Amino acid sequence: MPEIFNQREPVYLQVVRHFKEKIAAGELRPGEEMPSRRELAGNLGINPNTVQRAYKRMEEENLLYTEGNMPSKITEDTNVLTQVRHELMLDAVETFIAAVKPIGVSLEELQTKVEEQFLLEDVQTGGEKND
Amino acid sequence: MIEVKQVEKRFGRKKVLNGMSFTANKGEITCLIGINGSGKTTVLNAIMNLTPIKRGEILISGKPLTKETYEKIAFIPDAITMMPSMTIQQAMDFMNDFYTTWNQGRATEILNFFKLSSKDKIATLSKGNTAKVNMLLGLALDVDYLLMDEPFSGIDIFSREQIAAVFTSHLVENRGVLITTHEISDIEHLIDKAVLIENGKVLTEFNAEEMREEKGKSVVDVMREVYQP
Repeated sequence: MPEIFNQREPVYLQVVRHFKEKIAAGELRPGEEMPSRRELAGNLGINPNTVQRAYKRMEEENLLYTEGNMPSKITEDTNVLTQVRHELMLDAVETFIAAVKPIGVSLEELQTKVEEQFLLEDVQTGGEKND
Repeated sequence: MIEVKQVEKRFGRKKVLNGMSFTANKGEITCLIGINGSGKTTVLNAIMNLTPIKRGEILISGKPLTKETYEKIAFIPDAITMMPSMTIQQAMDFMNDFYTTWNQGRATEILNFFKLSSKDKIATLSKGNTAKVNMLLGLALDVDYLLMDEPFSGIDIFSREQIAAVFTSHLVENRGVLITTHEISDIEHLIDKAVLIENGKVLTEFNAEEMREEKGKSVVDVMREVYQP
């Protein structure tokens, strides 16, 4: 089914992030084959040229590699993989900080809140982990 | 590339095309957006030489439309042009008789893709299925460019999704598609380029991804700015 995309952000960057998340979460294993560009365009309901661009970007960032006419594969370079995790984390933290800054909360207060909420979420999602 | 250059066309005193210019590239989906009466269908007719133009020039791959270039371009009008008494099979045979570019293999594939039965009579089809047959008859031609006039209007959501899926498939791969619509939301992620028109003129044309990347605006955002200043 087509995923809901943000209309204002370049679709190709959204596709790149989608794959980074899957890689960081371990849903896509190093060396795993990527779907063909055409297949992915069909699944996501987006323009094949956009998918092409997303793949190109991921190749530039060394997330993917392609040998000859073979399907693209996820990199096996562990450095790149850890980097992706860091990058996603940093992104999320930056967004979070930008969102709480205007409220004027202290770091201590935040830390306790984050810890509390993090554990709570863990309990909640832990129970329904069937997917 | 389809190049429309400074095209003018009148119906009586009314200028329906008033110096319209834009381009549609091969391998891309270009979408002509405008309200009813803005000249969308007329410009498609003009590209196909179905209506004479008063001024301007239209080039297909750098050449004006000739007997040969007619074989490179297909027009899917907003309503099916086959006799209602024909079955889908008869309509396909009819196309095969008249077009050397007809590709029956692809036609059969599309038939299956849309889950249509070739024995059905066109008159008995639902609106959505009639639209699909209409698409089939154009898509099965081996042409470089496809023009489609409002393929989504008046069709239920699932049929719309099925038709939209055609655009992400190999059925339009490497071809140039020029599509008109007044409801962009269904296909916002599918198009490469948007051409906004009003009163027979192009207000702006842009690449949808570049617009998102450089200005953080969706196609609909740009439409709001352009049409409701």
